[in-house]
Amino acid sequence: MSQLQARFFTEDQRYVVDDVPFSIPAASEVQDLSNVINKLLEAKHASHSRVEFDFLVKGQFLRTQLATHMETEGISTEDVVEIEYVQRITAPEPEECIMHDDWISSVEADSEWILTGSYDKTARIWSLEGKAVTTVAGHSDVVKDVAWVKRDGLTSLLLTASLDQTVLLWEWNSERNQVKARHCCRGHTGSVDAISTDPTGSKFCSGSWDKMLKIWSAVPTEEADEVEESADRPRKKQKTQQLGLTRTPLMTLSGHNEAVSSVLWCDSEEVCSASWDHTIRLWDVEAGVMKTTLSGSKVFNCISYSPLCRRLASASTDRHIRLWDPRTKDGTLVLLSLTSHTGWITAVKWAPSHEHQLISGSLDNLVKLWDTRSCKAPLYDLAAHEDKVFCVDWTDSGLMLSGGADNKLYTYKYSAAQTDAGA
Amino acid sequence: MEASRGNVQKAEQRAGMKKTEKTNKKRSKQDEEEEEEEDQLFNLNNKSLEEDEDLSDSEESVYSGLEDSGSDPDEEEEEGEDGGSDDDDEDEEDEQDQNEKSTVKKSKKKEGGDEEKEVKKEDEYDHDTSDEEDIRNTVGNIPMEWYKDFPHVGYDLDGKKIFKPIRNKDELDDFLDKMENPDYWKTVHDKKTASDIVLSEEQIELVNRLQKGQFGDVNFNEYEPTVEFFSNDVMIHPVTNRPADKRSFIPSLIEKEKVSKLVHAIKMGWIKPRRVQDDSRGRFYDLWANEDSSILAKHKMHLPAPKIPLPGHEESYNPPPEFMFTDEEKALWEQQDPSDRKLPFIPKKYPSLRQVPAFSRFIHERFERCLDLYLCPRQRKMRVNVNPEDLIPKLPKPKDLQPFPTTQALVYRGHSGLVRSISVSPSGQWLVSGSDDGSVRLWEVCSSRCLKTVQVGGAVKSVAWNPNPSLCLVAVTVDSAVLILSPALADKQVISASERLLSAQQEEGPSEGPQPVVWSEMEGEELNQGIRLKIQHPKPVHQVTWHSKGDYLASVMPDHSSHMQVFIHQLSRRRSQNPFRRNKGLVQAVSFHPIRPYFFVATQRSVRIYNLVKQEMTKKLQANSKWISSIAVHSGGDHVICGSYDCRLSWFDLDLSTKPYKMLRHHKKAVRSVAYHRGYPLFASASDDGSVIVCHGTVYNDLLQNPLIVPVKVLRGHVITHDLGVLDVTFHPTQPWVFSSGADATIRLFT
Repeated sequence: MSQLQARFFTEDQRYVVDDVPFSIPAASEVQDLSNVINKLLEAKHASHSRVEFDFLVKGQFLRTQLATHMETEGISTEDVVEIEYVQRITAPEPEECIMHDDWISSVEADSEWILTGSYDKTARIWSLEGKAVTTVAGHSDVVKDVAWVKRDGLTSLLLTASLDQTVLLWEWNSERNQVKARHCCRGHTGSVDAISTDPTGSKFCSGSWDKMLKIWSAVPTEEADEVEESADRPRKKQKTQQLGLTRTPLMTLSGHNEAVSSVLWCDSEEVCSASWDHTIRLWDVEAGVMKTTLSGSKVFNCISYSPLCRRLASASTDRHIRLWDPRTKDGTLVLLSLTSHTGWITAVKWAPSHEHQLISGSLDNLVKLWDTRSCKAPLYDLAAHEDKVFCVDWTDSGLMLSGGADNKLYTYKYSAAQTDAGA
Repeated sequence: MEASRGNVQKAEQRAGMKKTEKTNKKRSKQDEEEEEEEDQLFNLNNKSLEEDEDLSDSEESVYSGLEDSGSDPDEEEEEGEDGGSDDDDEDEEDEQDQNEKSTVKKSKKKEGGDEEKEVKKEDEYDHDTSDEEDIRNTVGNIPMEWYKDFPHVGYDLDGKKIFKPIRNKDELDDFLDKMENPDYWKTVHDKKTASDIVLSEEQIELVNRLQKGQFGDVNFNEYEPTVEFFSNDVMIHPVTNRPADKRSFIPSLIEKEKVSKLVHAIKMGWIKPRRVQDDSRGRFYDLWANEDSSILAKHKMHLPAPKIPLPGHEESYNPPPEFMFTDEEKALWEQQDPSDRKLPFIPKKYPSLRQVPAFSRFIHERFERCLDLYLCPRQRKMRVNVNPEDLIPKLPKPKDLQPFPTTQALVYRGHSGLVRSISVSPSGQWLVSGSDDGSVRLWEVCSSRCLKTVQVGGAVKSVAWNPNPSLCLVAVTVDSAVLILSPALADKQVISASERLLSAQQEEGPSEGPQPVVWSEMEGEELNQGIRLKIQHPKPVHQVTWHSKGDYLASVMPDHSSHMQVFIHQLSRRRSQNPFRRNKGLVQAVSFHPIRPYFFVATQRSVRIYNLVKQEMTKKLQANSKWISSIAVHSGGDHVICGSYDCRLSWFDLDLSTKPYKMLRHHKKAVRSVAYHRGYPLFASASDDGSVIVCHGTVYNDLLQNPLIVPVKVLRGHVITHDLGVLDVTFHPTQPWVFSSGADATIRLFT
């Protein structure tokens, strides 16, 4: 069997070829197929310039010879093979390497600024080009997570969570480059490891080592909440930690048996949290109750939710990225496992504009770009870090960021993300 | 002749039998007549013995076709006797024949009879069909009374009447005759002819002789030597010249009928062909079949002598050509070592057996055979044929015993000397490690970040995180002191609670002279580092361990010569006590029971369990090892594991025995440290060979089920430095993760 009947189709209107079955060699690989499509396109439009394509057979990326792939996937070679082709995602190009003074624990970028939290007890704001803008210092211990809340013109609200059991709400004026601690959110009795702002920017959720999730208001006010200060609290400490107005949680969600490692808002009224107790829980913020529990068998380090494909991606200590459907009631269904990392996966992030792609960071120093249609192997390994990777992020503008224990924050430009957006 | 006679005799007997039957029938018919007959019989019997002769002879006549003439039963009775004495010559016979029939005519016809005889001699077979009887009266053998009213007594051969003598004698005549006639005594009346016959001298003589039981013939020698007629001599001629019967030449119809009946029966299946007898059972005795079950085999240890293989074609004096060696084979054979040769000889061909020479190696070969027999084992070795696989206990696959640590996840780097001891905070968030570089480091477990380094100014032998979650304290041994460290890595409430505990007012107890242990508060730089208390011991402290409540801690100072090896300190009251008054051996490690007030003290060979309330020893565990290095108690308190420097790990069930339930020898080198997981059924041992072995140990509630102890994973990662591998091992309190610290200055987390 040396020839296969194949029909090519694509969603991309720019590269449509005639819907005719072709006889192609069974041993052909991606490059051969790409040549075929380019030839066809050249025949169609004289102005066509060469484009590299990637091919999907039954929703799986072709990575080997076509015949081998079909054999492993169990696709009959008798029929006409439907091959979808998309423009190949070009490798993310490293853009900047932003040096920090200490390990980078967290990163969040929006369309203009990058916010990083570091083990030097500070959070930093960088421009997308890698220029240091300001340093947010005030925590008495390691900053474990950071989050942008909202932006009003030049004024931005941002959050930093720290090992010192507090979350600080800062107001940053980008023009004057002034940072002011507006609120100090007290209430956790363990290090606050994860924070997440709700889509409207009016609330945020924090998850802590003390197994609690707390919902806070993200709206800065001028009044401090009443805090029951224990009388015997040492005065010295009280003073040092008095940074901004004290704020108490709106709501406390308890249910996890172990430290909460990651939280996120699925939509405006739903919070999802991952924990070391091997569960992912979904909470109804309105009612303050737990809705669903997704049970795994290993510690979850990070979760990410994609509204495009409505999947949860979880990063575990057992080196697998798992995709979950948070809507299932039985709650134990793993849709897909992405396996390639060799260490704990510490961070995972869906592409904001692509329903199939996500990036992950791991303790094996690698950041990997995945496509869920190719679960055996990642699309690209980004081997820039020299030490453990703790955080990754992916902005709407297609910028990928990763930071780790080598004190470096790398940004990658992901060019192809735009081209087949919504594919 | 005589043979034929014999035949005849037999035939006579048969005929006689028939006759009796017939006569019987007749009798029934002729009852009336018989009465008369009987009379006559009596007469006959009375007459004389000579009648016997006659009667017997008349038998012959009967045979010769005159049987119907009513023969008397007496005659038949006497047949046997006659047969016996019937050895007479033909002559005699004939004479008797004549006698029997009619003595009257006998004399007259004697000569003629003789003539006949001679003729008869010529043709012996005439005898058979003899009707030679000299018949003068043809009426046959009937009672002559029937003729008494007739003038005649019968008919002669010509059919003419035989008339009675005209003058009939009456009694008077008879008497006169008797008186007068000198021949009267020799006169016999012949009824048949109704005539008187005077016997001649020869006849009287004969009668006398017969009466005496002698032979009739004077000349007959009855004692003649017998001539064997039927003898063992094979005769070329048949005994009789008689031609074979026709029936002997034609197939027998009866037999044919019989055979056809049998054939039919076989065809119809009425007759089964005879079963072939089974030879296997007992019909033949196979001498060699069960040689082993013979007498010798009754001995269990009997071993039959090895057998010589049977000779093959190649040993023939004239082997087939394919068995002959080619030149190459011959060359090869000569090159080979005698023990490697396939054949011990070269096949040779001789035209005939005569030309085969004597076997040159005969003696040699016999000798070797004798050696074989002599050297072969005479006793069977009772080797148990067991598949080694079967001896391995059936253990579940490690895969089924998940979760347990499998891979190295994190490496905690920062120490510059070998890391002696590690301990995890009860929450599982922090890790403390003590090293020979004089520092104690505090690590964040999930990121391997070293958050704090405390320089204590001496090699740290042991660190122990206070297991009470409401306290945040670490005990550290430096040289001969135990330091209490407050790492301030917890909730502020917890930190303040532990600070309060440390700064609690010391009770002024009655000081009894100089205390061996001195408590002191730290100041200055060390206080800033977090060191709060110093408990100064008289000797270097090797181990420190907390009670699960977190108020008591025990320290070990191994010393052969002193009873002050173990101290128990109470933190809240800053008091120390030495629980043991006597030295029971070099103390290696101590441990508190997690639930009950028991205290485990491991010396070199054994583990003693003391009840702290009753202040007595409750148990002594024999570790079966030479030098215990470490001890760990299960969180339930029922199981204890001991690691020893002789590479062993002993697992004790305290309820079961003071002997180890299981000894595990998986390590190649000394076991440095052992640890139990608090929640999962896991324990781990760390060894100088650089490996950590994680074992699964389930104890079932069902006491009948044996504890399941399965080594599940060997974790490697530490580099062996200065012949030291892994120095300490401890489990994460909540996750199935294990930490190990090694001589390569690293701490590793396996998940």
